[in-house]
Formats: sequence, structure tokens, C-alpha cells
Amino acid sequence: MAKDIYEDFLRLTGFEEDEMSKYLPEWRKASQKLGLTEEDVKFAVEEQLPTYFAIELEGIRKLLGCFVREAIDLTKASEYKERGVKIVYGILPALLHFYYALKLTAPDKVFVSFPDIFLTFVLNSFFHKLAPYLEEAEKNGISYGCRHCALNKTRYAARRLGVIPSPDINWIWGFICDEAPKTDEFISIYYDPEWKTYITRLPHDQPLGTVEDEVASRVEYLAAQMKDGFEFVQNEIGIKVSEEKINEVIATWQKYAAKLAELARLMAADPQPVGAVSVRLFWEGLFTPFNTGMEAMEKALDITIKEIKQRVDNKKGVLPEGAPKLLIYSLHPTVPWVAKTFEDNGVGIPLSEFFILTRKQLMPPTFKDPYMAAAEGWLRTSGMVNPGYQAEQICEKIETHKFDGMVFGLMDFDRWLGSSHRLLSRMVEEKTKLPVFYIEGDNWDDRDYSLEALRTRIESICEIMKMRKA
Amino acid sequence: MDTLEELAQIARTRPEKLKEQKEKGVKVVGYVGRFVPEELIYASGALPYLLCRGGQPEPPDAVIPYMLRFMSPYSRSQIGYHLLGIDPVIPLLDLIVVQCSDCHESRLADLFEYFKLPAVRLGVPPDWEKSLSRDYYHKGLTQLIEKLEALTGNKVSDRKLKESTDSINKIRDILSKINLLRKKQPPPIGGADFILLNHYSFYGDPEKLLPKLNDLYGQLQKGKSPFPKEAPRLLLAGHVVGVGDYVVPRLIEESGGVIAAEFLDEGMRHYEWNVKTDGDLMRNLGETYYLERTPPSIFQPAWEERAEIMKKLIRDFNIDGVIWYELAFEEVYDIEYSIITKAMAEMNIPILKLESSYEYSREAMGPLTTRIESFIESVKQRRS
Repeated sequence: MAKDIYEDFLRLTGFEEDEMSKYLPEWRKASQKLGLTEEDVKFAVEEQLPTYFAIELEGIRKLLGCFVREAIDLTKASEYKERGVKIVYGILPALLHFYYALKLTAPDKVFVSFPDIFLTFVLNSFFHKLAPYLEEAEKNGISYGCRHCALNKTRYAARRLGVIPSPDINWIWGFICDEAPKTDEFISIYYDPEWKTYITRLPHDQPLGTVEDEVASRVEYLAAQMKDGFEFVQNEIGIKVSEEKINEVIATWQKYAAKLAELARLMAADPQPVGAVSVRLFWEGLFTPFNTGMEAMEKALDITIKEIKQRVDNKKGVLPEGAPKLLIYSLHPTVPWVAKTFEDNGVGIPLSEFFILTRKQLMPPTFKDPYMAAAEGWLRTSGMVNPGYQAEQICEKIETHKFDGMVFGLMDFDRWLGSSHRLLSRMVEEKTKLPVFYIEGDNWDDRDYSLEALRTRIESICEIMKMRKA
Repeated sequence: MDTLEELAQIARTRPEKLKEQKEKGVKVVGYVGRFVPEELIYASGALPYLLCRGGQPEPPDAVIPYMLRFMSPYSRSQIGYHLLGIDPVIPLLDLIVVQCSDCHESRLADLFEYFKLPAVRLGVPPDWEKSLSRDYYHKGLTQLIEKLEALTGNKVSDRKLKESTDSINKIRDILSKINLLRKKQPPPIGGADFILLNHYSFYGDPEKLLPKLNDLYGQLQKGKSPFPKEAPRLLLAGHVVGVGDYVVPRLIEESGGVIAAEFLDEGMRHYEWNVKTDGDLMRNLGETYYLERTPPSIFQPAWEERAEIMKKLIRDFNIDGVIWYELAFEEVYDIEYSIITKAMAEMNIPILKLESSYEYSREAMGPLTTRIESFIESVKQRRS
């Protein structure tokens, strides 16, 4: 019998034999809709996944499977819509609590997704095949030269290419950058009048160093904005969510976050137990709602923690013991060669600053009101606040996990998250006296900043770190 | 036009005058952006100074060690001159008020604070159609008054606020009257000079500026246009023409076109909207600044309304073509350009996009000149 590469792909991404009859035809159909050829799937099975992901670990395979399952589900969104299911989108970074609360309230009546994030992760991390989406957007109004964000281009292109339908409501967040919500305004005017949006924003107007979650007026304003947005969404789709459901999600989030803290602790072990790319997608569970639910992610996380703990206990690692270890601002599996190049050169970058949590983040919320609790949680997150407070949090993370230095950059498409890195580099270096590096690049899209372009920079950083630690 | 030169002289000597006033104990308040009302600064007894420089590549480059290089060269310029040691005013400032309506401005505020300059932020929520956001901006203005009062030791009374509002309204009125003269063909004043006038109007005491602006209006009413009758009438649109960023407007008018109208978010007076001086003055100020004027590109929703406003300008000022002046890496304007292009196609109005990182070297000027000349030539041919 001829080898079925689609089946191999599902097997490699953690699907069980008894799931094949259901998922194999769905995956074939979905991959076609996504624009993936048999060659692309073969590339994933034979090159990309074995090179960058620890597929020998069951937990990692299951993790990849969660993203595949979600991508399949996303390609069925048009069918859901035809059946009367309400389609609710969001954009990153946003609080997933409200989307999950919708799902918990009316699981069969609502479809929730941040479509660009799944498409980008699956297409580039697994197949290195995001470029056609980016080019589609670039040919149709979002220029190449201005260094726009790949997520925004992907969301727009996915609609143009018919991968996703218009939403019943797209609750867009401008808590971070301006471009993301404005892209949705663009889509609705320029291409799809059915692309209905509601916007929620928060000005970046806090002085450097302000502990934003402790400024009552800020937390209250953000909570009011969240409540306003969520009420609009509920009215729009006719689903009423109780505050208990939001609280339930907050509790689930805290539980998942606590498990991630354990994973972070294991990843920071010496020697580094597994390649950084392998586990990175677990952290998406903190920010991105899965329409297919969180249970499978949590299960994969539990298995992974167990497997990695065993490696740590056995002192088994992907790097030699004592290898230098850098905290990286944000590692994306969409450019998996970044972490691998560091690791191949004897330096670990096991964790992403953006995703690992501070002690304060792991504490229960101060407020009972779910909106206040959600707002407080948001303002405890380093990437969401002013660089002075962010630098303090980064320094805590460096100290907690005993990093030897830090790498910023690879976010040049983001006028908020990426624009502060040079300043942050100075602040963190001043406070920690550790070496801090900056790499200009793009974490989503490696058409401009390829491995060849960045290899020398990464190798130089590794040399410096090894010499310092020698 | 000697009056224009006199106004230029007032603007050029503003830093010296501010220094003299500061030595006498008057506070000097710099500000960034159209949402910071000058009226409040005057009413507090301080002197305002708009930070709005642009047009040179070195100042934005000086910021690169502290900021992503794919950021607006205009925002970077507002601190870049200071980092190069060639900004005479920033060291004088007792307070710098930075509007925070987008990422570029907020990062600028970060840098002012990092360099220990006396910056405060005025939050401007872009989701402007919500009462939550309106209240936020109003509250921001109230907090700004408290800061100004603490700085100057003066109370911002209703009387003082009414006086300063009246005074700025008069400046807006005269600029509006001058602007309307540009409906004539050929107009008595082009866009290059009109933008200058707007800039000058920020850098002088209103009581000194007003008689000169009135004189100029009289002269323009009677005078002959410096432009030929067949000059194509152009609309200059985009984010901002900064103070000193005059290469493109000049080049347009030296190439045979005339800028008959502008559609710019910053650096202009927004002279069509006066602030009402009866009732609740603070509320009036907030309503005019936040709600009534043309929404900037960053506001959401804004682009459909902005395209309609542009279309009206095109009809009212009998515009033949649009030049979209975009500053490099201003991502919101870059996307808006596609919307505007579509709107212009509906009106059959040609549009040219010029992107600038303030690089006007000899090498860059050749291609820039050719593009502008070709566009103007093609607009002329369409008219004939």
C-alpha cells in the first residue's frame, strides 16, 4: 500500500489510530483549503517537524495535534456559519477569557477564534508556507515596504482567499498596537462590508515605571472597556454570559498558568532538557482561545511536564551542562531556526519573556468582579504595560530562572511591542549588569530575515556568551 | 509678501523670546499633538511651544539607539534634534505635554521620560465614538489643568480660559478666511506658504500675530496670484508636514502645480472649528478637540468619514489631483492610502503617493522631482 503522507502527518502530530477515520478526510480537505499540497505535507513530515520539534515526546506530538485540530476546525467555520453558529473573532493580544466564557455558555451556538494566529503558526511553523497569504495581502492594499505585521496580513488574506468567513462580530483589541484594529477597519471598508467589528482600546499614557495594575483608575477604566465590549458582543450574537462563567474561565486560566510555571521551571534546568521550539506553543494557551477547547492542550501539557521532568531528573539535555542560557523576548516557532541556531552553537534560549509569568501574575486576582480581575491580570503582564514596569518584571524573570543574559528584537513589525526593545535593552542591562543583545528581525515572516541573514549575528552572540561563561 | 517675512521673523525668534520670558519667571510648556489645547496653556499663564519639527534625516536617526528604526521619522524628530544637541527650546521647557493617541507618540513620551525631561502624557483613546473614551479625554484635560496650575501657581479660571479661547479663535478665523481665498483660480496663496502660515501661527503671541495675519488677508484679497491660471490644483494629504519639512510642498509648486488645499492631521490649525466661549468651557474644549474636528487617521472608525471629507474638499476646492505625503513606516497612514486610492478612483481623481524618511539628499531629489513633475504633467493633460 502506498504511503499516505496525510496519515503520517496526523500520526506525527499526536492523533490516535482510532481518530484517523474521522480526522484523515477532514485533514485532507482542510489542507486543500489552506493551500497546502501533498509536497508541503511531506516536507512537514520528513523535514520541518523532525528538525525543530521533539516529536519523540508524546506530549509534544499531542501539542502539535491541538493546533492541527484547531486549523481543521477553522477551515470549517463557513460550514458552521451556514448552520447558524455565531462566528466571533478576536485579534492578538487580547484576553481570551471572554471568548471562552461564550464557548462555555453556548458551546454549539458559537464559534470563537483568533484565525490569524492559528493560520500563521500552522502554516509557517509546520510547512513554512505562509508566504502566499502574505503576498495576497501585499498585492491587495497592505504594502510590503511598510513592514506591516504578518498576522494582520494573514487575517486579511484568509478572508480574501475564502479560508474563513465574515464574522458575526470581530471584537478587536487595540491594547497594544494600532495596526491590528485598523486592519479590521480596512478589511471592512476595502474588501468585505460584512466584516463587522467592535473596538476596545486603551491609551499608552502611563509614565515609565508605573505599576499599572495598582493604579485603581487604570484598572477600572480597562474593566469598563472590557465590559462594554463584551456586552456589545453578547447583544450582537444574542448569547448572554453570566459572570460566573467568566470567573470559571479565570480559574481555569490560573490553573493552566500554574502548570506552565512548572514547565518553565523545568525548561530552565541545566542542562536544557528539550529544544525551545518544541514547547513554545503551550504558552499560546494563555492568550488564544481554542474553539476545540483547552482540555486537549492541558492534557498535552500534563504529559509533557511528566516527560520533561524525567529528562531533568536523568540530567538528559539538548545542550551540555553549564551551557550559557539566554532569556529571549519572544521565540516563535514560525521561525524555528532562530532557537535551533542558538542551540546548535551551544547556547540555550529555553523561555520567552513575553510568556513566562511573574510571581504576581501567578497570584489570584485581588478583585471578585470578573472584569476588574481580568483587567488587573492584563495590567500585570509585562508586554502590556509601560517599559519601566516591564523592565522590572523582566529582571525578576531573569533572576528567577538564573539567565546569563537576554536577547531582544525579532519584533520589527510591531510598533508597540517591538518599538521599545532598544530602550528595554538599556534598562535591563543597567539593572542586571548582564549582557543584553538586540536582533533586528521578524518573528512571523522570514522572507527578509532568513537564517542566512541572521546566522552571523546569532553565532557572534553565542561566542560572546561562551567566552563570558568559560 | 513682506508680511509673511515678518511672521517668519516672529517665529524664528520665538526661542529667544521664550528664554527672555522664562528668565522673568514665565513657564514654558512644550506640547506634541493636536489634542493638547493651547488655550489651556495660555490660560495658566504659561507660554506654549508646539514640538512639530521634521524634514531632516539626522534627528530621527539619532533616536535609533533607543527605538525601533521602523517608527515614524516625524515622532522621532521631536526628540532627535535634542539628542543631537541642536534643539534650542527643549532644554528650556518646564513641561512637555505629549498626546498619546498612537504608538509613535507614546514611544516618544517614553523617551522624553527616559532622558529625564519633564514630560506628561495626555491619553487620547482612538475609539472615539464611545462615551467611555470621551470621558477619558475630558478627564485627561482636567488632570492637565491641575498640572499646569501646579507648575505656574496660577488658577485656570473661566475668565482666563475664555480670553485664551477667544484669542485662538481669532487666529483660527483669519486662517480660515485666508484658506477660503484659495478657492479662486489661480489662488492668491499656495499651499507651501499656507502651511508656513499655519506653522508661524503657533510661534508667536496671538496679539502680535493677529494684526499681521489680518494685513496679509487684506493683501491677498487685492493681490495678484503668483501662479499661472492653468496651474493644476492639488490637494496635499497625509499625516503632517513638520516645521522645516518644506521640500515637497515647494517642489510641487515649483513644478507647475499649486496646492489649493490640505488634508493633514498634525501641524495645522484645524481652523474650521472654533471652540465655543459660552457655557461649560472645558466641555466645549473637549468636544471641539476630540469630537468635532476631522478625526485623525488613528481614530476608529475614521477612514470612511475621512474619505468623504476628502471628497468634499476636492469638490469645494475644485481639486485636479491628490498628493499623498506619507512618512516612512507610518503603518496606519500606509493602510489608509489604499482606502483613499479607492475613493479617488470613484471620483476619477489621480493620486500620487510620495513616501519620505526626510532623506532629501542630492541623489534622492532627482527621482523625487521627476515623479512630481510627471504627475503634474499628467494632471495638466487630463484637464486640457
